[in-house]
Amino acid sequence: MPKYKGWAGKILRVNLSDGSVKAEDTNDYLDYIGGMGIGYKVMWDEVPVGVKPFDEANKIIFAAGPVTGTGAPCTARTNITSLLPSNPQHLIGDGHMGGHFSPEMKYAGWDAIIIEGKAPRPVWLRIEDEKVTIEDARKLWGQGIFDTTADIAGIMGQETQVAAIGQAGENLVNLATIMSNGNHSAGALGGVMGSKNLKAIGIIGTGSVQYAADREDWIALNDHVMSIIGANNQHVVPSTPQPWAEYHDPASRWTAQEGLFWGAADKPVETGICEPENINKVGYRTQKAVKDHGMIAEDYTVRMGGCQSCPVRCHSSLEIPELENYGVSRYVMNTCMGYWSHYMAMRNMDEKSGFLAKTLGAQLADDYGLWCNYGQLGRDLNYAYDKGILKDVLPAAEYNSIPWDKFEAGDPEFLVDLYRRIAYKEGEISHLGDGAAWLAERWDFDEDYWNDEAHHLWSPMGYPLHHANESNGQVGSLINIIFNRDPMNHSHQNFLGSGLPTKLLKEIAAEIWGSEDAVDEPANYTPMNRAKAKFAKWSLVTCALHDSLTVCNWMFPMATSPLKKRNYRGDTSIEAKYFSLTTGIKMSEEELYKAGERILTLHRAMTVKQMGTVDMRNEHDIIVDWVFDMDPDKKPFTPGTIKMDRDDMEKAKTMLYEELGWDPETGAPTYDKLVELGMKDAALELGKLGLLPGNVQ
Amino acid sequence: MSEEEKEEKKFLQKPTSRRDFLKKSVIGAAGTAVSMSVLGLFTDSAEARAFAVAEGIVISDPTRCTGCRRCETNCTAINDGKAHPYISRVKVGRNYNFGENGPSIAYWNQNGNFGDFTIVTETCRQCEAPRCANACPMGAISADSSIGARVVDKDKCVGCGRCSVACPYDIPTVDPEAKKSTKCTLCGGYPTCAAKCPTGSLKFVPWKDVELALVERENLIKNN
Repeated sequence: MPKYKGWAGKILRVNLSDGSVKAEDTNDYLDYIGGMGIGYKVMWDEVPVGVKPFDEANKIIFAAGPVTGTGAPCTARTNITSLLPSNPQHLIGDGHMGGHFSPEMKYAGWDAIIIEGKAPRPVWLRIEDEKVTIEDARKLWGQGIFDTTADIAGIMGQETQVAAIGQAGENLVNLATIMSNGNHSAGALGGVMGSKNLKAIGIIGTGSVQYAADREDWIALNDHVMSIIGANNQHVVPSTPQPWAEYHDPASRWTAQEGLFWGAADKPVETGICEPENINKVGYRTQKAVKDHGMIAEDYTVRMGGCQSCPVRCHSSLEIPELENYGVSRYVMNTCMGYWSHYMAMRNMDEKSGFLAKTLGAQLADDYGLWCNYGQLGRDLNYAYDKGILKDVLPAAEYNSIPWDKFEAGDPEFLVDLYRRIAYKEGEISHLGDGAAWLAERWDFDEDYWNDEAHHLWSPMGYPLHHANESNGQVGSLINIIFNRDPMNHSHQNFLGSGLPTKLLKEIAAEIWGSEDAVDEPANYTPMNRAKAKFAKWSLVTCALHDSLTVCNWMFPMATSPLKKRNYRGDTSIEAKYFSLTTGIKMSEEELYKAGERILTLHRAMTVKQMGTVDMRNEHDIIVDWVFDMDPDKKPFTPGTIKMDRDDMEKAKTMLYEELGWDPETGAPTYDKLVELGMKDAALELGKLGLLPGNVQ
Repeated sequence: MSEEEKEEKKFLQKPTSRRDFLKKSVIGAAGTAVSMSVLGLFTDSAEARAFAVAEGIVISDPTRCTGCRRCETNCTAINDGKAHPYISRVKVGRNYNFGENGPSIAYWNQNGNFGDFTIVTETCRQCEAPRCANACPMGAISADSSIGARVVDKDKCVGCGRCSVACPYDIPTVDPEAKKSTKCTLCGGYPTCAAKCPTGSLKFVPWKDVELALVERENLIKNN
């Protein structure tokens, strides 16, 4: 029996090499909460330095936290941890997906699934509550994700939730996804499943997730969140002027308005005025199709969609008959980069062809299980094409077999050819799927690839910026240096993009981080200060916490709200309330943040251990040159530029390291900090390896 | 085992879908033809006891449901004090990916998230002659005095599951943890699922409007 409520109490360990299946006790991991925390702890304890992502000795951990499955708003994330194939040093990292997978895992009685070893032939994992079997997947191997999911549901039952890889993962493409529900994908780790000959995991769970709170308190908490909640990314003002709204912001994802419809629904559905606190309209606030595609998408919109438990529907479901001309279904669903990355792999498009490229690309990539590296794959193609590199590196016969005429003409059909080549590793061009760092080395890209802002690279580790210096200067920049892939961190972005005037955001910033100076006007930055370091720390810690609880970092923390009566204040203690009312362990916001710090610091410690150096500042936390050299006519901290200053950024790193209790010089976790966070074993291990700052033994 | 016994055994097995049920019940129920009309299953047996009708039922508008399944956990929060979609009286998850008939060979043109995006949410019809109540060997299901919902008396219920087998919509579900059947109580007239539905897809429909609402629902589900 689980010690506390919330957790299912058991972790499933499957060894594909010897076919063994074991249940372990979640209680051993409670300090790490769940999700990402369990993933890091397992990797730290069990995967030695030097193991490569596709080695049999690598492991992959699917995990959720105590709050997942409770039905509390925005709690259906799945965190997947392993070694990153696209990272040039194969450092630890995560992919994350929403959908319905991890709640089902919890209902089946499992907090996490640890996959280790390698099956001798293709298999899939069948989980029906406590009954777990390893099934033959030879008939599924070679199929796309959609068919695989349907086949497994055909075998297990229509209610099955499936996480699967497509051909890209099977063929060990570094940029491959793991996918559930057809449109919720975890980037980066599909190849790891492929390397283990694991095609899919199917789950049916008939049990419950329990919470400690009595039902009235539980429902009151849910109602409270439903009043604080905004639109997608916790945008709390509408995009157009509305009778109830004091503010509006055209950039807001609260796009609902009179006259804006889900235009392809079987009968008209108007998004309309969705005033705050009207629970029955929260799901209409974000008309994401027009946000992602423009007004052209309104007439193709069937509905919105998204994750289990979440009232904010951030995926758009479209019916586009023209897609059938390309041999794919007319029904397509995705969001944000799941659409946009395909546009980035094209050129010379008009509104309609751009719309078709985004949606056709989504169908193809989601079935192949191909990951875009947050849009970088398409930019890499365009870079190599424009520089004439492809003519050099591709054999002439291969080059000539690629329909460049379609590429030049902005014909979306180009993607049918391109994505097949990458997913099946056909020819030299398929190395676009290796990831930017590997590709730049293989194709000998010039320095300008890294140093021209047009290519969006952020780190020499081959990932692009993801809400970095354009998001409050040093704050976004710091958030982009800590992880080993693009940071997948929206804590700061949700706050900055809320749509409220900067003056109000500054007031709220002062309440949370001690000074209004934590927030600058957009593209009008001030030099680094302590409050910005606190803001960056808060963003990093809450992100680690969210991926461990597991709640959605695209909605939390809810530092702002749409409620004028609260003076637009949100409630940053919701996560602590979720945790306390779910588990029965009383935990304050500060105490819970400490757990987030523990998880973030373990990630850092693992990175130090893998890299074999404490000098994170100079070896890991590196930002490419364009960030400091852009806008040559402008100086940093002048209006109209997001240019950063090198010395100021070093100061920013120092302040962040100090805030996190890491060594201010190197940015590595100190012995004292590790001990304070309850990780003395990790401190001792690093000490033995000579990997504590100042070389403390 | 005789053919007849085999058929009887098959009939007692839990049908996997409503279509399955119709097929099985046509064969199994001593030759009684089952009407395929929308409301036919409300009163499909001459011997069945009928109760006074409920004040209304909860119905989902398939064009507005986005499949968030908040109704399922809200249902079990108020009724059971836990999160347990499997026993929710509103059933969204099981049809979420592939619609009510499960994955077919051409799933992309069927209902569900892998198809035309129509989410087929199943709710209790509070039938006039409820098969669940008539099938219950303990007499544990009856109309409550306030709103007429057909409710399970937990003290009488032995968790045998005959109500689940009998229901054409697979609504009553035996809680594998409490070993008692669960079915829609209409939450005393203020169904939580509808009150907290983020798109207002679920609505409490007065009995006089039920037939029309169900016909429209069926048409929207079929009309890909």
